[in-house]
Amino acid sequence: MTERDITESGVASGTATPVVSLRQVRKVYGSAAGPRTALQDITFDVARGEFACVVGPSGAGKTTLLRCLAGLMPPTSGEAMFEGAPLRSVPAGIGVVFQDYGRSLFPWLSVVRNVDLPLRVRGVARAERAARVAEVLTSVGLADAGRHYPWQLSGGMQQRVAIARALAYRPDLLLMDEPFASVDAQTRFELEDLILRVRDEFGVTVVFVTHDIDEAIYLADRVIAISKSPGVVTEIVDITLPRPRDQIETKRDPAFAAYREHLLGLVMSR
Amino acid sequence: MPANLLPYLRLAGTALTRAWLFIVFFGVWWFWSAGSKNLYFPPLESIVKALWTQWATGPARAELASSLEHLIVGYVIAACLGIGIGAALWSLRYAREATSPYLYFLYVLPAPVLVPAALTLFGIGFTMKVVLIAFAAMWPTLLNTMDGMRGVDTVKLDTSKSLGLPRWRNLLQVVLPAAAPQIVAGLRNSLQVAIILMVVSEWVASTDGIGYYIVNAQESFDYVDLWSGIIVLAIIGVVANLLFVAVENRVLYWHYGARAVEGASR
Amino acid sequence: MISRYLLRYRLRLAVLAVALGLWQGLSAAGVIRSDEFPSMSQTATALWDQASTSTLWTAVGQTLEGWGIGLAIGAACAILVGTLIGLNGFAYRSVIGMVEFFKAIPVIAILPIALLLWGVTLTMKYALVAFAVFWPLVIQVCYGVRSLDPVVRDTATVLRLRGPRKFALVTMPSAAPFITTGLRVAVAVALIVDIIAELIGGGSGIGARILLAEADPSAYPIEYAYIVVAGLLGVLLASVFTIGERWVLHWHESQRPVLAEDQNYPERTEVAVAR
Repeated sequence: MTERDITESGVASGTATPVVSLRQVRKVYGSAAGPRTALQDITFDVARGEFACVVGPSGAGKTTLLRCLAGLMPPTSGEAMFEGAPLRSVPAGIGVVFQDYGRSLFPWLSVVRNVDLPLRVRGVARAERAARVAEVLTSVGLADAGRHYPWQLSGGMQQRVAIARALAYRPDLLLMDEPFASVDAQTRFELEDLILRVRDEFGVTVVFVTHDIDEAIYLADRVIAISKSPGVVTEIVDITLPRPRDQIETKRDPAFAAYREHLLGLVMSR
Repeated sequence: MPANLLPYLRLAGTALTRAWLFIVFFGVWWFWSAGSKNLYFPPLESIVKALWTQWATGPARAELASSLEHLIVGYVIAACLGIGIGAALWSLRYAREATSPYLYFLYVLPAPVLVPAALTLFGIGFTMKVVLIAFAAMWPTLLNTMDGMRGVDTVKLDTSKSLGLPRWRNLLQVVLPAAAPQIVAGLRNSLQVAIILMVVSEWVASTDGIGYYIVNAQESFDYVDLWSGIIVLAIIGVVANLLFVAVENRVLYWHYGARAVEGASR
Repeated sequence: MISRYLLRYRLRLAVLAVALGLWQGLSAAGVIRSDEFPSMSQTATALWDQASTSTLWTAVGQTLEGWGIGLAIGAACAILVGTLIGLNGFAYRSVIGMVEFFKAIPVIAILPIALLLWGVTLTMKYALVAFAVFWPLVIQVCYGVRSLDPVVRDTATVLRLRGPRKFALVTMPSAAPFITTGLRVAVAVALIVDIIAELIGGGSGIGARILLAEADPSAYPIEYAYIVVAGLLGVLLASVFTIGERWVLHWHESQRPVLAEDQNYPERTEVAVAR
């Protein structure tokens, strides 16, 4: 269910507070070659329940953008807001799934203990924790994998664990940084369908960063295209493909090809 | 040949491959020194006898117990201080940056040079030895703890923040476990240092311990006893190492498991 | 950026000044008894005196002699033997148990034997150092030779590299990082063993000077001066080694620049960290 009061410029005009709000966000950081402007002027909103994908060429600052959205990195100038309040640190209502599941999951903890860690942090009682962990692991299709360690599982399964861990505490916003880039193509399709299912089940807002245009179109309600460094929002494209999406049917739709052509042109020209 | 014998034969084969050199070595030593009249290199047989009469069942057991007591107390203190101070310095950036060259200096300083100083300050006895062992053995663990904690993957730290872990949980449940392999390497190094200091501290003006026993034997020209002391030291070193490895494999099994998977997929 | 470095150095100097000042203060106030422990100024004076005559330098030279010869012999043997063992599976499996055994023996246990064989001489020192350095290094060399990355190995096969050429161009460079790690440890171990030998056996060098000074309470400042020298020598040798390592292994991942902490890791396309 997408909010229709987001205008073409991407900024919300209605009364509902967008979950995420960026205004003229700029990020400059120092490097060996001098100051680098990763993001120049990023402005957009993401409404509640929306699935927004961010695409751009390599080196476009997509990861930097995600880290700003998560509160992991403050912008050099401009405003990054979550639920109407400026981000100072990582707020409790955010979940993050990183690309590198191997480095993000804690190898000294079993799958169950990885997933229930954020619940323990939030003081959830043991019985309830066990129930929630079981529920979220079932949602991602890993009901039997609880006692294993992450490194005993395949790449796709590990990323499912990471998704389960991020969802266990019912965040309002799920941020995903090229999460399926490190898995093979088959697994990627499965995970894409998984994330759509999970989004419907948990009703969470998703911001999904990817370099894969097909993936972005397939998943999104809106695609936000970012240019190469210094990054600006080139265009925001509404994806009106019918839901629920299907790997074969949706991709066969001529509108899909039209979107792809359009976005490819945007991304490749800059 | 029945098929179900094969795995056992293979096991026996592996064991033999690994053991034959030992057997040859000790065999050669035994027979070559058998009739030895050389004062400095008595027959292995008499050394083994001395091991039994002195160390396994005899008066030297007190020395062994005394040395081990110093070693264990000193090492445990060193481990606690090393990890504690290392972790503290990790959280206090300015303290760490200001003191790190001096910590490194103390790490590289050959600890036995402090024995004479320790003697003057603490006299002979339990305190001197434990303080010396603890002080010397602390540094490898301290530096490895600090380095290990600093080297924790940024992705893990970001994950920890995104999951909402407060500072203390982050330290105890993310940073320390992630640094554990390196901390354990430091602890192993510390153990070796502790053993050396255990002996060296008993070498000069001591009244008990293995070091004392060896010096005593040396001065009494009792070379059989001297050799028996040397072998006891060797055994202590080897056993300590084996114990350490056993504990390490248990505590760090997740690390070795993950590495094995990584290596296999290469 | 620059100001951070300056701040760091000023902080370090400050710590040193405070520590030395505290030492001197405690001595002057009598908290540290002068017959047990010399004051900072006494130690500094003794250090200066020793350094301005040839005594200190002779002692350093003598220590370095035992260190250098022992390290050279031990390292050469370890690299030779380690390579031979590493290249042959049966040899490796036979020998590794014994090598691990000897590595676990505390070198201090060997000292009496060395004294028996050679007395208080330079030979005793460098023999002990060589023995101490050999065992851990031979294991490292073995690992290095054996842990050839399968992808590198296969590439070499496809490129038809065999025999001595493969050894020189592929095996040895692959093993080099392991060997240099082993050598770094060996450099430190060699110094420690050398000084222990001097301290306990006597003879010549820094350890011997400490031993001599210990006997005479009025010479405590000299004793502590040499303790400082021992530490500084260790730091110096380690630094020289690091520089050498950087030069030899300039191509290896471990020598690539590490991203600074506050430069939050940027896009994946940037050259990544390696440790």
